[in-house]
Amino acid sequence: MSAESDMEYSDNDGDDYDYYGGQDDCDMETVDRSKADPEYFVFSCLKVEEVEKLLNESIELLSNSLHITPSLAKVILHAYEWNAQEIINKYKENSNEVLMYSHVKPRVPSVQVYSSIKVCAICATSPPIHKYSALACGHYFCNECWTTHFEVQIMQGVSNNIQCMAQECEVLAPEDFVLSHVTNPTLRERYQQFMFKDHVKSHPELRFCPGPNCQWIYHAVAREGARRVECLGCELLTCFTCGAPHHAPTDCATIRKWLTKCADDSETANYISAHTKDCPKCQICIEKNGGCNHMQCGACRYDFCWVCLGDWKSHGSEYYECSRYKEDPNLINDNQHAQAREALKKYLHYYERWENHARSLKLEEQTLACLKTRINRKVMAGEGTWIDWQYLWDSARLLKRCRYTLQYTYPFAYYMEVGPRKELFEYQQAQLEAEIENLSWKVERAETTHRGDLENQMDIAEKRRTTLLKDFLEFNTTNASSSKV
Amino acid sequence: MAALPRRIIKETQRLMQEPVPGISAVPSETNARYFHVIVTGPEDSPFEGGLFKLELFLPEDYPMSAPKVRFITKIYHPNIDRLGRICLDILKDKWSPALQIRTVLLSIQALLIGAKPGRPTCKRRSRAVEGE
Ligand SMILES: [Zn+2]
Ligand SMILES: [Zn+2]
Ligand SMILES: [Zn+2]
Ligand SMILES: [Zn+2]
Ligand SMILES: [Zn+2]
Ligand SMILES: [Zn+2]
Repeated sequence: MSAESDMEYSDNDGDDYDYYGGQDDCDMETVDRSKADPEYFVFSCLKVEEVEKLLNESIELLSNSLHITPSLAKVILHAYEWNAQEIINKYKENSNEVLMYSHVKPRVPSVQVYSSIKVCAICATSPPIHKYSALACGHYFCNECWTTHFEVQIMQGVSNNIQCMAQECEVLAPEDFVLSHVTNPTLRERYQQFMFKDHVKSHPELRFCPGPNCQWIYHAVAREGARRVECLGCELLTCFTCGAPHHAPTDCATIRKWLTKCADDSETANYISAHTKDCPKCQICIEKNGGCNHMQCGACRYDFCWVCLGDWKSHGSEYYECSRYKEDPNLINDNQHAQAREALKKYLHYYERWENHARSLKLEEQTLACLKTRINRKVMAGEGTWIDWQYLWDSARLLKRCRYTLQYTYPFAYYMEVGPRKELFEYQQAQLEAEIENLSWKVERAETTHRGDLENQMDIAEKRRTTLLKDFLEFNTTNASSSKV
Repeated sequence: MAALPRRIIKETQRLMQEPVPGISAVPSETNARYFHVIVTGPEDSPFEGGLFKLELFLPEDYPMSAPKVRFITKIYHPNIDRLGRICLDILKDKWSPALQIRTVLLSIQALLIGAKPGRPTCKRRSRAVEGE
């Protein structure tokens, strides 16, 4: 944290990042943006040095107003999740309580008297009396033992929570005390790095980008619900609230449930998935080839739907019918086995779509990369400028955004109660899906598609996406969802 | 190998002079950090009448790190796994350098006395630690 520390952080030049600062200076912009994008969330993407500055401001504020060392301020801020104002107020009321709550002061002070120390209880040696030290609890140990204690703790990755060595003493060693005992430069550096990580993790307004080896840190005012942040470094979409991959319209608790379920059930799901490939009429095994859900058994010529194994005739010509999974009321009250099968069938219905869109997203990622090269080649060949081809690039990005939202509509639908609201949701979902497939088709053939046509399709898809989010994003619809019951 | 720290010498001497009742802990002849431990099954416990062999090892950074202790004799106890590893807070996150071999042995003895079927097992505790 100190200015002279030469920790190695990426020196990505971040001239191009947009820093929204506080919320106060951009209210107008926020309103406008959130109208266009229901997921819009004010955040900034900061570099390590910027976060250090931000933390130091809190540390300074607290240390100046309470007249304590910056080291102690850090311990207290960490304990109170960096709410400096709360600390200052509480400190005025009862400073002792704040110090004890933060483990700066002990609840029960030591009865040991400094002048009577004869032997260090840890190493059983008797160094001269000036070679002992203690934290605020008054548990004296020799300096050599403190050093070893801190070295071992730092090696184990502990930084903010290094306790006093006395049994059952919870008093924490502040930074200046630790550093006055640790001289090894590598360990000092490690200690400060761990300390910084700990501070970010304990700060409700900060979150590390979970991208592999990514050094960026998001800064936002924490709010409930799925909140999208996008990394300037690695472009990862993350939910600021829970740290999972961004998951609107699904809420944080539901996505956790869904991801756990997927991990737990994948074995069974794979097994059943493999076995439902049997023809529902003659049980012969059928390979699904191509994307069409209309299956015809090669042996008995039975036409059926791949998704629900129902007779294809009942599906009529409505291609997207099976996006709206219909729960079969006759099967449910049969017996436990049928219920389990039904539950699994339902799960597979949503899981397969979830997986499918995840796969498509990966493929379209490649399309995006190819597009970039193609545009570059065109520009180099003198066929227009980057600006002329920008719309192609935008269309591929938009497709990605739409597909991403669509993928995360499946866990949402899976946990929804059967009823008119779910019907509406699945109707909108099917519409979004249809427009995304149209867009995908046009993006793949972008150069031969008329620009106006493509832009029109982009518009339609994005409208479907925002409508769905507006109607179903938890924090946009608190009234709607509470009135549904 | 480095000279034995004074603390370990002191602790060993005291263990020899005033042993913990019901427990014998003898350092190995070849390695002063390795102890052969025998715990007698405590009276009125499900383990009464049994003799349990354990190994106790003091790591290089002892007492900053906890001793490593393991049951060698097979024992059925909710806080001891099949490999003889013991789920005891003072051997994990509640270790303090002020604790000693003696306190560890006493805690293990107490664990045997307090054994009741259906006590919370290690799983729950380790999850609570992770959740911090
Ligand atoms: Zn000492
Ligand atoms: Zn203490
Ligand atoms: Zn990142
Ligand atoms: Zn979330
Ligand atoms: Zn057939
Ligand atoms: Zn169907």
